[in-house]
Amino acid sequence: RYVRQLQRLQLLFSPTAADARGARQFVEEAAQDFARQHPDVVLYVSPHSGPGPAPVLRAEYLNGTVREELIASKTSEEIVQLATKLANQSGLDIVRIRKPFHTDNPSVQGQWHPLTNKPSILTIQGPRLQPQ
Amino acid sequence: RAFWGGRRRKEEREMEADRAVPEKEEMREPSLICPLPQSRSYLPPKDLQSCLESHVREIFGPSLPEDWQQTPLQEKRLKHRLLARLAAELGHAVPNSQLHRMCRAGDVLGFYRVPVKDGTKINELVAAELPPNLKIIWQQ
Repeated sequence: RYVRQLQRLQLLFSPTAADARGARQFVEEAAQDFARQHPDVVLYVSPHSGPGPAPVLRAEYLNGTVREELIASKTSEEIVQLATKLANQSGLDIVRIRKPFHTDNPSVQGQWHPLTNKPSILTIQGPRLQPQ
Repeated sequence: RAFWGGRRRKEEREMEADRAVPEKEEMREPSLICPLPQSRSYLPPKDLQSCLESHVREIFGPSLPEDWQQTPLQEKRLKHRLLARLAAELGHAVPNSQLHRMCRAGDVLGFYRVPVKDGTKINELVAAELPPNLKIIWQQ
């Protein structure tokens, strides 16, 4: 069973600032659809009146990582894409993974790729969907 | 010596300012700081068209084309009279920026058919039905 690693999304923006226009449009139009498509993520919308910090989308994951993304001067569609990207991530840090092993000859017979041992016509015509 | 003298003067000024500010606040408490703004909400009544037609016939009198909606509002006095009467009756006035668009009675009818909502979108969203995982934290 799949457990979504994103716990909650907090949308902090100002109802009057100019760079929060995309955030406001997102709240008015797309936030409800996003909430329905992702029922296991809680979306908190907290507008703070008056001049404040830049509009930010804060994502909290099950392992405790908190990731803040600036959404100043972004359109509503871009914010939707960003939110879906955060929802599909896990909370692990985005760091280069270093492994303690190294070889100069990683493959002797050629590295496997999904088209090895398949008929070569697939490289031209591509996969065909089977009618069901 | 000059340093300490300067500091003492600043402290005295601060003490005077502190004393003055609470007095002013006490004076202001009984009266309202600012009155509540007028609500600009407007809903078009159901008999809008007949009401408008009667007003147009009253003001323009005999010089009406067959379709009353095509009456041109070129005469400034008549236009003002019509718009002032409608504003007084319906409680919703045409703003100055839209006056140049009102060339015919049909335009006025179209303008008065549009309802005007008063609150902010966030307040509307708070009142509307939300999915269970969407929470809006807004304290006004």
